[in-house]
Amino acid sequence: MTSELIIAIIVTVVGASTPILIAALGELVVEKSGVLNLGVEGMMLVGAITAFVVLFTTGNHYLAILCAAGAGVATSLIFGFLTLSLSANQTATGLALTIFGTGFSALAGQGYSARPVTLMGPLFPADLAAHPIWRVLFGYSALVYFSFAMVIGVWWFLKKTRAGLILRAVGENDLSAHSIGYSVVGVRYAAVAFGGAMAGIAGACFPLLLTPQWAERMTAGRGWIAVALVVFASWRPFRLLAGAYLFGLVMTMELYAKASGGPLSVIPAELWAAMPYLATVVVLVLISLRRDASSNAPACLGRPFLPTN
Amino acid sequence: MQFRLEKRREPSKVMLYATPVAAVLLTMIVGAIIFSAIGYDGVGAVREIFLTPLTNSFKWQDLGVKAAPLIIIGVGLSIAYRANVWNIGAEGQYIMGGLAATWVALSTHGMGGWWTLPLMMLAGVLGGAAYAAIPALLRTRLNVNEILTSLMLTYASVQLIYYLVRAPWKDPMGMGFPQTKRFAAEALLPNIFPGTIVHAGVPIAIIVALVAWFIMSRSVFGYQMRVVGAAPHAARYGGFSENKTIWLALLVSGGLAGMAGMLEVAGPFQRMVPGFPTNYGFTAIIVAFLGRLNPLGVIFAGIVMAITFVGGEVAQTTIGLSSSATGVFQAMMLFFLLAGDILVRYRLKRVAPQEARA
Repeated sequence: MTSELIIAIIVTVVGASTPILIAALGELVVEKSGVLNLGVEGMMLVGAITAFVVLFTTGNHYLAILCAAGAGVATSLIFGFLTLSLSANQTATGLALTIFGTGFSALAGQGYSARPVTLMGPLFPADLAAHPIWRVLFGYSALVYFSFAMVIGVWWFLKKTRAGLILRAVGENDLSAHSIGYSVVGVRYAAVAFGGAMAGIAGACFPLLLTPQWAERMTAGRGWIAVALVVFASWRPFRLLAGAYLFGLVMTMELYAKASGGPLSVIPAELWAAMPYLATVVVLVLISLRRDASSNAPACLGRPFLPTN
Repeated sequence: MQFRLEKRREPSKVMLYATPVAAVLLTMIVGAIIFSAIGYDGVGAVREIFLTPLTNSFKWQDLGVKAAPLIIIGVGLSIAYRANVWNIGAEGQYIMGGLAATWVALSTHGMGGWWTLPLMMLAGVLGGAAYAAIPALLRTRLNVNEILTSLMLTYASVQLIYYLVRAPWKDPMGMGFPQTKRFAAEALLPNIFPGTIVHAGVPIAIIVALVAWFIMSRSVFGYQMRVVGAAPHAARYGGFSENKTIWLALLVSGGLAGMAGMLEVAGPFQRMVPGFPTNYGFTAIIVAFLGRLNPLGVIFAGIVMAITFVGGEVAQTTIGLSSSATGVFQAMMLFFLLAGDILVRYRLKRVAPQEARA
């Protein structure tokens, strides 16, 4: 294997991992506040179509990312209103949000398929990434560096800040947090909105970073993999980083198996395509064998907050 | 004037059944407004999607054919959700049921008889149940969340169809299309009304729902599912095994999804094709909720959802509305229903101004 190929593989892995990592970081914060939002896939699709349409009309990548984040927040607030203000079942509402996002994005994206846009260019000047080795470090778009910064940011927020402590308290024991005087619902709204923004940006990665066009359901279940990754990482940001890159590697192997015709193509292409999903199941099994698997789960995860009872 | 929510002593029966109806009506009204606001013919869209399938008698047979799989899968899911078992991989179990039935049809091709269809049915039910057994095993043995496993297996099963129809099961006479050969006559569902497309799956769906209603409301099994879902601690105290309930919930919902898969492949499809997954398994989740997790309610919910599907197709041809609009309407319906749920458990009370200040 030449060094050129290795570098090309690394660059592909980074691209495949970035949207999962961003979406999973958002969901991690949401779950730490005690809320389980299964609508990540739907919010990502809304973000993807928003980013595409904005990019197609204005040509501005950063504006596209910003609008995708806004659209993600707007979508997540539907979930927030139903589950936090009306204490609706979180599982069912999350599913409904994914169904909504799938339908809405397909409707809004009518007539945009097969229209090309330009991928987002690298953040650093090309001279810096001229040498292949440097390309591995400096050859990516801003979204990739954003995802790394957010790993540290989320870790720092949850571990080191007062606001992060309050958020965790709300997720661990909502009644105590409420009785000390914190607004449980307010904190959870903020967390859900953050998760929505991150899912929107993760969706934007698809037209901006991976395939420069719009296709219905282009996120192809990545939002669900992000939800699974949060469990895999037992709610820890740095493990999330490792998990996201593991999945990115599996998905990249699929791409190379289809393209190269080498030893990897002995396995049918369909099995490669199924691999990320089967890997998710295997990974969930493996972590369940670990002793501390569920001990780190926020105690109030998925439970509605009803202070009056 | 201010309002306050007050918890009811008991969930309101009236609201329990009024909210699904209100959700459908609100979806029609709000849908018309929103679709008009974003530049479509909103009133026309609602008329075509919700009313045309009912007023046009030519569409009734389509309604039956679309509602049958939704009802069968929805009944299974309503039983599972009652027990708080979140099987959202019915689409995958539907696919595996269809594939198992296809396997029987292909391997008995040319030597079948009256027993072919019953055997396909058995294979379909077992195929769906076996696929649901994976999340059941992982949940009961290793405490792995069934939401994620059942969904991930759905994505994998779609790839299995693609593989089978591309390579081992491909029809050599199919002019290169990735599909199996058309099933032999004895492996195809009979039409119950000559000259229509209404196949035997339609009455089977009604029978399944009625039997499920009877079992859920009149048997120990049904009681167990309801108690474990509503009060797990009490259920454990009463001697009901939680693991057994999880197994039953997944096997029943998976088996019924597999049955729907068999009926679809032996009915409308007549062969296995890559387009076999039609999201019935996901839409049935809405059907189960809209039917209030009650098998009789699921019949009505399945028909309502079939109306939106058939109506969506009508709207596509008459006013050029994308078929994805149907999904938006369906999700809105579920949103309104979930929002209305609060009225089942709480009552809206008017608060006098001075009381509100206090």
